[in-house]
Amino acid sequence: MRIIYETDDGGVAVIIPTPEYLLTHTMEELAAKDVPAGANYEIVEDSVVPSDRTFRGAWTWA
Amino acid sequence: MATIINADTSDGLKLTSDTSGQIDFQSAGSTKATIDTSGNLKFDSGFGSVGTAYGVRAWVSFNGTGTVAILNSGNVSSITDNAVGKYTVNFTTAMPDDDYSVSGTAQDTTSGSGTSAPSVTMKDDTSSITTSALIIDVVTGNGAAFMDSTFVSVQIIR
Repeated sequence: MRIIYETDDGGVAVIIPTPEYLLTHTMEELAAKDVPAGANYEIVEDSVVPSDRTFRGAWTWA
Repeated sequence: MATIINADTSDGLKLTSDTSGQIDFQSAGSTKATIDTSGNLKFDSGFGSVGTAYGVRAWVSFNGTGTVAILNSGNVSSITDNAVGKYTVNFTTAMPDDDYSVSGTAQDTTSGSGTSAPSVTMKDDTSSITTSALIIDVVTGNGAAFMDSTFVSVQIIR
């Protein structure tokens, strides 16, 4: 699982949890801790995040 | 003074105690490790005397290419992938302050002489280093561009 959120400049950041953290916490708890306050976010499957990083800086929130 | 646990070479274990709150671990009457009243762990281990051990309070290694994959970690809750070569290391347990030491390395993903070996750097910005997270950049050897590396490792010492 991943957490994607909208950055202040309209881009997209992706949060990748560590296996150690998920041993004792949930993705919702991670989002509450690591997503910047007030940012739009969504918890998604790994496959939702593109593996092609050629234009990584151009990803936008839709 | 201290409470002493001594492994004596002739009499075996010897225990002497006081009310100082410090614990000394001795071998043949020589102190090899100490926990003082401030909670500092001190050890010899070839140093010649006991000295304070400064711990790696957080560490992580990850593959920054493709869909970023964390290889292993300690006291790190997540990595935020901000853009090519731009990451945030989020701590599970926050640091006591933002004066900690940071070191890191990134693997050269190009073949050849190694002159393009990347560096792990930080922005000239106080917001890059906080008690709860650390923002790092991975840049090409000449510093001209951000880049993704197949192996990035970061250690925080405090």
